[in-house]
Amino acid sequence: MMKFALFLGCQIPIRLKQYETSSRLVSERLGLELIDIEEFNCCGYPLRNIDFKTFLLASARNLALAETKKLNVMTLCQCCYGALKKADFLLKENLSLRKEVNAVLQQEGIPYEGKIEVKHLLSVLDQEVGVEAIRKRIEKPFQGLKIAAHYGCHALRPSQIVRVDDPGNPSIFERLVNVTGAESIDWLMRLECCGAPLLGSHDELSTEMTLKKLNNGRESGADYLCTACTYCQIQFDTVQQMILSQQGSNPPLPSLLYPQLLGLSMGIPPEPLGLKMNKIPIREIGS
Amino acid sequence: MNVSLSSKVLHWCKTLIHSRRFSKSWMGKSLSMIQLMELDACTHCAMCTSHCSVAIAFEGIPNINILPSEKVGSIKALASGSPLTEQEIRELQEGVYLCTNCYRCTVVCPVGINLQNLWIKVRELLLHRGVPELSVLSPLSYYRGLMKGETVAGDYEEPLTQAREAISAQCGLMKKKDEVLHLIPVDEKFKGGLDLSAQAKNFSVCFGCQTCTTVCPVVGHYENPQEVLGLLPHQIMHAAGLGLRDLALGSNMLWDCLTCYQCQEQCPRGVSVTDVLYELKNLAVRYTKEKR
Repeated sequence: MMKFALFLGCQIPIRLKQYETSSRLVSERLGLELIDIEEFNCCGYPLRNIDFKTFLLASARNLALAETKKLNVMTLCQCCYGALKKADFLLKENLSLRKEVNAVLQQEGIPYEGKIEVKHLLSVLDQEVGVEAIRKRIEKPFQGLKIAAHYGCHALRPSQIVRVDDPGNPSIFERLVNVTGAESIDWLMRLECCGAPLLGSHDELSTEMTLKKLNNGRESGADYLCTACTYCQIQFDTVQQMILSQQGSNPPLPSLLYPQLLGLSMGIPPEPLGLKMNKIPIREIGS
Repeated sequence: MNVSLSSKVLHWCKTLIHSRRFSKSWMGKSLSMIQLMELDACTHCAMCTSHCSVAIAFEGIPNINILPSEKVGSIKALASGSPLTEQEIRELQEGVYLCTNCYRCTVVCPVGINLQNLWIKVRELLLHRGVPELSVLSPLSYYRGLMKGETVAGDYEEPLTQAREAISAQCGLMKKKDEVLHLIPVDEKFKGGLDLSAQAKNFSVCFGCQTCTTVCPVVGHYENPQEVLGLLPHQIMHAAGLGLRDLALGSNMLWDCLTCYQCQEQCPRGVSVTDVLYELKNLAVRYTKEKR
């Protein structure tokens, strides 16, 4: 059985519980054992605008905690993923930086030695579990369902660090969507940012980015958008609903999380997958 | 019957005592009765701090108000009218902002204090004073953005504008568009200051091809990007290479960067454009704080 320390980050437990529950359900069926480390803290991502060393320290502490349990880390959020990968890369590459960080971590007796790996849910499913193993678990394949796979920035960039797929022409997410029987559509803006990083500091720009992308997905013929990141999903679900309730129009494109899509095709009922917790309703899409 | 009556009387007495004690300070007047009682209920057991998502940040930013258990102490002091210095109030403001709004403190508090709501309330009260808080220009503002509907429109925008203005006030050269720039002597101290990490050393190999600017979705969003954003990514790299601090730190572009890494990914010279922008933001924050 494959084992990972599950890194939830700060947002999922309070704002996107369905990402956690659906990920746990599909992981269990696919033979992934997820271990919780209660002491995990912020991944460091939101601190990076303010102070690089503080970001690195926050990130490194998580890596060190997982290392003491001899576990690789699996994240669900791509901003967490990008932050932890960045820190892991720097600490493995730059020994003087590691020494500096470890001087602080040593106070807790957890210096980081760089012996673990950080993975994202998508790469675990594609590379560790494998699409063929997933295919065997599909009980209710979708028919005629068109999905726009939204990659999220840090599955792809910076590619030297995150190393999930070819940054210019990735196929991992489409592969994972297609195995559910749904059809992943081709759309122009699939690799663009969702706009979330600027929500709260420049709302107009943030939401215009979001709407542009949603409109492109809808125009390209998608029934749903599919995400694999906390911030992307909140942006395309909660924030889309906020924008549209002000404008009084219908949603251009509802969004669901990848483990929700996969779970449905595995025959897991919508209720435990938390479909009702999505702000923009996902109509019955089980086949 | 008796129990419920006596508990009501007790509650009423407590309320009276609290309202008297806290009624003299502006903070005390602004918090709800429940929040004032919660302040007194804190036993300083530090359970919140031991579960805090950003407690580790205290090791990098030595402000004790980052730690929830200590924040309560400062808020209590402010609410009961203790004379905190301006510096102490600013530190409390930064402390309540350096929070990912994860609610862990509230979940673990053995006394049941809704700490997260207390931080949110105090955060807005302190921001309303008008002292710029630079942390608002970070993804820590995400939750505030989600809760925008609950904030008065002007109160919501004001801290964001103030933070940007505070930074641009330190970058006077940005406003002097006709100025002849003196490139010699180069501001070596500033160039050295960019040397925060190995990842952001490489801006000087930029040969000005503008690929970063061309692929930037934020630049592409505006018809006249320079008017809104100031210097564009390739120009910022150039300014950094020349050691022109005001020009490297003074553009809206820094704060409107989505950190999507398109620029860095496509740079033919391998400049870590996004990482450089990140570190310039760090410098702008530090520089503005020092100048205050």
